[in-house]
Amino acid sequence: MSLRQSPLRAAHEKLGARLVEFGGWEMPLSYPSGTLAEHLACRADAVVFDVSHLGTVRVEGQHAFAALQSTLTNDLTRIAPGGAQYTHLLADDASVMDDIIVWWVGPERFDVMPNASNTARVRAAIGGLDVTAERAVMAVQGPRARALLAAVSPEAAEVSHFRAVPFTFDGAPCVAAGTGYTGEDGVECAVPSEVAERFWDALVAAGIAPAGLGARDTLRLEAGFPLHGHELGPGITPLQAGLSWVVGWDKPEFLGREALLAERASGPRRRLRGLVGESRRPLHAGDSCLVEGTAVGEVTSGNFSPVLERGIALAFLPPDVAEGGAVGVQVRGSVLPTTVRRPPFHKLEKR
Amino acid sequence: MDIPEDLSYTADHEWVRVEPGRATVGITDFAQSALGDVVFVQLPETGTRVERGSTLGEVESTKSVSEIYAPVAGVVAAVNSALVEAPERLNEDPYGGGWLCVIEGVDEVEIAELLPAEKYRQLTAS
Repeated sequence: MSLRQSPLRAAHEKLGARLVEFGGWEMPLSYPSGTLAEHLACRADAVVFDVSHLGTVRVEGQHAFAALQSTLTNDLTRIAPGGAQYTHLLADDASVMDDIIVWWVGPERFDVMPNASNTARVRAAIGGLDVTAERAVMAVQGPRARALLAAVSPEAAEVSHFRAVPFTFDGAPCVAAGTGYTGEDGVECAVPSEVAERFWDALVAAGIAPAGLGARDTLRLEAGFPLHGHELGPGITPLQAGLSWVVGWDKPEFLGREALLAERASGPRRRLRGLVGESRRPLHAGDSCLVEGTAVGEVTSGNFSPVLERGIALAFLPPDVAEGGAVGVQVRGSVLPTTVRRPPFHKLEKR
Repeated sequence: MDIPEDLSYTADHEWVRVEPGRATVGITDFAQSALGDVVFVQLPETGTRVERGSTLGEVESTKSVSEIYAPVAGVVAAVNSALVEAPERLNEDPYGGGWLCVIEGVDEVEIAELLPAEKYRQLTAS
């Protein structure tokens, strides 16, 4: 199967990006500056990610609201047209089949953004048109993201946190949303493919450093955000992942509601927790977690925190393992001491 | 790709600086580039006796872990402990400040079996 390409593929090659397969797409892993520099630039300055591999499913018309509201977990009445919302698509057993950002672009228009490989599944559940191939999506993130983005599009730079507004670039209709997945302020811009490279080049010319999937993963992990296939997926519910706020509990209907209510009544059997190591040694997905020498859980994502300069992880642990608790993580033969800490890890005090 | 002429190499992308009776070991420019940003290095303890091909330590980046193998047998006489807090030296200066360890009591026959720069260059080009 050939890999899908972003409209920005040529721009990445010009910048010397290292490209990798991700969810059926060929996307930049890093640029010559490297993952660590890109990560730190996002925390201190501003970077731009090509996230065109996220799907865009456009659901329009008078039935669009009901299709989303009766299917996805979050409650759309908490927001209004012009708003954005993080939500889940569950299976009958309350497993998280995808985590999604919804941009409520117009009164009867929703741009629904699933993970790369889940677009077909989400369309099957809520309908709509797959318009992924028609646009590029660029995530401008970091404390200086808005200031630098203003040189390219003042309208896009002004969108508030978790708002989604239309704007134009070179006469082309675009959408800007105050969303992202790095733990920093920022704006995501969906831009038609024909003008995507011009928009990207303008961002880079404005002094926004390109960043790849390597930094995107360390940033989201440092922020404590789940990644589908790691912290979310078959057998994992929103309650286990600590995301009960993503659920509109008062709604009469959404997929997986019965099973999720039953789990809420009995209490989840495990909880996603953050772990911080005592050395630079990275932790890894699949590492076994021990409490008093007994295996009680497993790391779902782990790496090195460039801000804390410590190994960090997210792991499923029994519900009684509390904040501040000691957990041993088995890394290739040795057991590393870690402490349960609540993310975002980059906001914790550096030792 | 920088491949200094005065060093010897292994097919595992390590370099060896040979001096009488001792060998300084590191990873090549090719290896550091393939690994990406190194964030953690585990070094052997001095005094450890190693066989050719046995594990000397680990080098880990944000995307992968690589074992370091002893290019020749001998005793670990010194390690570059500065790498513990500054592993980025492996990326910045793989043939200088990024050296990993010194092995003493090395065998001349094993030294002679290491790859010369020209052979290693062919290996990385293929």
